[in-house]
Amino acid sequence: MKLKASFTRLKIKWLMAFMVLSACVERIDFDVPPAEFQTVVEGVITDSSGPYTVNLSQAMNINGDSSHRTHIQQAKIKLYDDQGNTEDFTEASPGVYITGGMMQGEVGHAYHIRIETSDGKIFESEPDKINPVGNVEDIRYEFEARTRQEPFGEVRADVFNIYVDADAGTEDENYIRWRFTGTYQVITHPELHYTDTPPYTPYKNPFPCSGYVLLSGPTGTGGTLERREDCTCCTCWVKQYESLPQLSDMQLVSGSQFKNVKVAEVPITNATFYEKYMVDVEQMSLSRDAFEFFKLIRQQKERASSLFQPPSGEIKGNIKAVNSNDAVIGLFYATAIKKRTEFIAPGNIPYPVTPIDYITLPCYDFYPNVSAAKPANWE
Amino acid sequence: MLPKRPIILLRKVLLCFFLFASLNGRAQEILNVKLDGTEQGKSLSAVFDEISKKTTARFYFLPEWIAPISFKKSYQGQTLGEALDNLFLDTDLSYITMYSHAVIIVKDSRQALLRKSAIEAAVRQQRKIEQHMFGEPGKSKKEQVIINGRVVDAKTGETMPGTNIQISETSYGTSTNETGHYSLALKPGVHVLNVSFIDYENKVIDLVIYEDGELNLEMEKVPFLLDEVIVQDKMTKELTTSRIGQMQLTMSELKRSPGMMGEVDLIKQVQSLPGVTTVGEAATGFNVRGGSVDQNLILYDGLPVFNSAHAFGFVSAFNSEAIRNVSFYHGGIPAEYGGRVSSVLDIQSKDGNNEKWNGNAGIGMITSNFMINGPLQKEKTSMSASFRSTYSDWLVHSIRTDYADLRNSTVFFYDGALKLTHLISNRTKLSFSGYSSRDSFRLMGDTTYQWNTLQGSARLDHQFSGKLSGEFIVGRTSYGYSVLNNDYVTASKLSYCVNTTMLKAGFNYQEGKHKINFGWQLMHYGFNPGTLKPTSPISTAKDFAMDKQYSVENAFYASDDWAFNDRIFLEAGLRLPVFVSFGTASVNLYQEGTPREITNLYDTLHFSRGERIKAYFGLEPRLSFRWAASPTSSIKLGYHHLYQFLHLVTNTTAVTPLDIWQPSGYYFKPQQADQISLGYFKDFSKKKYGASAEVFYKSMKNILDFKDGAQLILNTHLETDLLQGKGHSYGIETYIARNTGRLTGSLNYTYSRTFRLVAGPTASESINSGKQYPANFDQPHIVNFAWKYNITRRVFFTGNFTYRTGRPVTIPLSAFAFENTTIAYFSARNQYRIPDYHRLDAALVVEGNNKRKKLVEGTWVFSVYNVYGRKNPYTVFFRSLENGIPKPYQLSIIGTVFPSISYNIKF
Repeated sequence: MKLKASFTRLKIKWLMAFMVLSACVERIDFDVPPAEFQTVVEGVITDSSGPYTVNLSQAMNINGDSSHRTHIQQAKIKLYDDQGNTEDFTEASPGVYITGGMMQGEVGHAYHIRIETSDGKIFESEPDKINPVGNVEDIRYEFEARTRQEPFGEVRADVFNIYVDADAGTEDENYIRWRFTGTYQVITHPELHYTDTPPYTPYKNPFPCSGYVLLSGPTGTGGTLERREDCTCCTCWVKQYESLPQLSDMQLVSGSQFKNVKVAEVPITNATFYEKYMVDVEQMSLSRDAFEFFKLIRQQKERASSLFQPPSGEIKGNIKAVNSNDAVIGLFYATAIKKRTEFIAPGNIPYPVTPIDYITLPCYDFYPNVSAAKPANWE
Repeated sequence: MLPKRPIILLRKVLLCFFLFASLNGRAQEILNVKLDGTEQGKSLSAVFDEISKKTTARFYFLPEWIAPISFKKSYQGQTLGEALDNLFLDTDLSYITMYSHAVIIVKDSRQALLRKSAIEAAVRQQRKIEQHMFGEPGKSKKEQVIINGRVVDAKTGETMPGTNIQISETSYGTSTNETGHYSLALKPGVHVLNVSFIDYENKVIDLVIYEDGELNLEMEKVPFLLDEVIVQDKMTKELTTSRIGQMQLTMSELKRSPGMMGEVDLIKQVQSLPGVTTVGEAATGFNVRGGSVDQNLILYDGLPVFNSAHAFGFVSAFNSEAIRNVSFYHGGIPAEYGGRVSSVLDIQSKDGNNEKWNGNAGIGMITSNFMINGPLQKEKTSMSASFRSTYSDWLVHSIRTDYADLRNSTVFFYDGALKLTHLISNRTKLSFSGYSSRDSFRLMGDTTYQWNTLQGSARLDHQFSGKLSGEFIVGRTSYGYSVLNNDYVTASKLSYCVNTTMLKAGFNYQEGKHKINFGWQLMHYGFNPGTLKPTSPISTAKDFAMDKQYSVENAFYASDDWAFNDRIFLEAGLRLPVFVSFGTASVNLYQEGTPREITNLYDTLHFSRGERIKAYFGLEPRLSFRWAASPTSSIKLGYHHLYQFLHLVTNTTAVTPLDIWQPSGYYFKPQQADQISLGYFKDFSKKKYGASAEVFYKSMKNILDFKDGAQLILNTHLETDLLQGKGHSYGIETYIARNTGRLTGSLNYTYSRTFRLVAGPTASESINSGKQYPANFDQPHIVNFAWKYNITRRVFFTGNFTYRTGRPVTIPLSAFAFENTTIAYFSARNQYRIPDYHRLDAALVVEGNNKRKKLVEGTWVFSVYNVYGRKNPYTVFFRSLENGIPKPYQLSIIGTVFPSISYNIKF
């Protein structure tokens, strides 16, 4: 609840005071067991057609500086349902295993996987049942003016708050997750890229993906640009993922109806609203176990900002090691999904948005979580 | 029949004069009378008769005692003393001399020998000795006699509660009650009493008593000491108190110890006692023998204190200038106290001076204090007032930091105490005590934290008779906090408060060797668990109020402090608490057999105003046993069972003033604790050194811990976020001290462990899968070393060193990616430890001139906190880098050497 969340920061604030009083903050290292021994499993089966994906990797070292994931390759993974059907996963790329599309998740049935790694270790997930999902009935957004403190002063940090109304479908056991994904379009100017490293000629250095080439021109101009092809790296679509999973709270339900569930905050910047902003909300039915898993993730994320950090729990998931004592974390869950999309136009912002930054790199080299492929439902 | 002549009947000898080192010389004049040989063949009584005719000497005896004794040979040339030594050989008779002219024949030679060695010791130590005689041998056939009276300050006439009166060379004694009265049952005969009170000169009473008597005593202050509050737990004290686990935590050399930023701090001193730990500098309160912070009952003039700290634990909320004495109990807790399961810290404020006005003032780095006290009506009514406030804003503003703009920050607090005392008669004392403290804390502009305590009480102490006394207290205390958010768009005020009203009647009855305490105590609690109000017209804050909670805690208690004989002491007690919580309330009901979670809520029960929600009844036996194995050593045993009905709800390691007190009720069962402790205490070299070792085992039930990720503020369903479990702790506490000499000090080492176990019916209601885990403050090894070296009589070099094992923390072991986000994989709760804590502090104390008549005395304290600049980690937290992998960082509260100066004057 927003009400409570606003007070989670209480203790952070006064801890800042301690820092003020001659406190100091330093890195500290703990002698922890190497992360490589932990296997991480991430997978899902839905009620829509496959293929379904399972990712296998090793956990990342807490003392390491990179988020490089070591994939676990050449494992054998099999999908099971509660009616005796099975299907094998195949490794599509290192550590990424997909089904062939034979089996499809159905509401009311439970699914699990069995993994056998190349060195003979066996892991199994607990069967997870697909519950009925209900429907996203409405998506609404609301402008909120905010500021943020920066070293050079206060800056604007306005947002759109995104709310959904939802029908849970059933009146009991409503374990629901609303997965938010935002998409916005950006442009860059890779054709105007130039170098200013010695010996300073040529100045202009367009990226080939811009479709432009550099021709020689009058002395001192750095040459002339000529367009030969369409630009393939000027327009991109950036995805924004939820910062933490949004889960159903039984205090907000009346019957099977959820009203005004806040699912996300969309930051208003000159990039996010250069064109328009697409809001996707997927309503996902979860089992109790999967719900607990996401709840712990949510709590951990909520607390990450607190210096006091009441300990987060062990996030274990539903994967068990069958023939070893090896540590394994992760979740293979089953869900039914209903999706709804909404667009927010820049005109909803009560002031004109400043023009998008003038960037001379390919768009996918500058923005995070970006793709030059236009999303299917981008109108 | 008594001999007729020479005996002057001294029925009530109240004559007294001070004898210093010359005592023996003068008294022995009679014994030096030379015999001339004519005594041969005469009976002893006839010879006594003759001598008393010739001289002023007087002899006191029972004729039948000495009837068989006669001078069978001539003792010509020998003194009377030598002759008596010879004649009493192989009898159970002995003699003592008094007032230089009196010889008293006593039957119990053991008593006489004890007296002799006690007097010799007193003379050696240059103590003041007073002689008193009540009745005479043989006049009474009583098995025991009672001596009672009142102890007052010789200069100010103030009554002196808590003065120790102990029979020399034994462990038997008593102390004065609130009106300064005492009563002591003795065997008829000779005794030496030691009367002591911290900062007062010890007094030695050479007592001959054969019938009940009244003896009023006046005590004089040690002239060169400041009138100050000090906390000490000297072994000499330890042995004289009858209880195990009690630090007659009266006063130590607190002011001469190096405090943080020059602040003299009572709670910090408590934290250095054996068996007491703390999680760090910025932590309110302390942990006793594996108990959490809320398990300590802190009483200020009898009323419970809910927050003992200023500035989030940096400074304790009590001005040491206003405190008279402090008792700390952590084992075999007396039946009089209840409501918390780990310890009792009983703070009594100072009465005003009954004779003349005086005061003192001090200036430190962050606070200044002022105290004044004196008579409103001489010898009848007095007042004492103290005030302390900070001016640390400049300190905050002067700090340059990368973290925040501090110009908009403020740290402010004050505390004040006022006490009025009126002596209605010698037997009745009426006092009013008021205390107020307030903190305001704002950082970087938009949020202000305020908390305050306000309490007032009236107390009547009355001595009904020599045997029966009583105390009656009525009081009210109010503790609350508020968080003001000043950001215009979200402006709000969050308030919390708890009001406690208390009534208490306690009685003390002494009959022979039994001291019986009994009484009744009633507390009414009113909680406002939280209200949130928007405070600006456009504020988006919700207007929200939690239901108020009401409860009553009622208890009867009785205990008997029984001196079975000179060596065995037993105090047994029983307390019967009843706790009832009342409506108005709504109680959530959850589906049977499912985890208690909001998703499983199926109904709500409503209780109307005054309707009983839940009642709890407890039975609390208490036991404290002591066996004086020898005059210098004792073995003690303590046991107690305690209930606690109020819980402090927190999900951080360090308790803060912004945590919530939650009464027991429908879901929260009262906490319970059993503790048994056994100790051996020994003095060496005439109490120059003391040592002790004590072992304990404690088990606790229904202690609260929070679920992973619990949300506690403004939570209307706390029962879904908190879990109740078990705990146990055990340990050994050792202590050695040097009590006298130029260098004094103490060293204690404690090994103890404390664990929690929360195993609910489901995984989500268990912590660490229902396996035992160390508590937040499980610090196995603790060493405290404190010293004071007198460079001159006025200049001291003091210091202390502390070492503690790092406390347990929960840390991320690795990270993993899941659906576009990086998640930390945390260890099970409290499976790792932060680095060990150690710190050295030192201070140089320069006290003012020692002349008694001087108008103003000044004291300088130059201190250095954290001498070698150790960066002790206070907490570990995790910051996610850009790639989402959390990295551990340690936060040290005091990361540098911290010098400070303070100056105090007394006038």
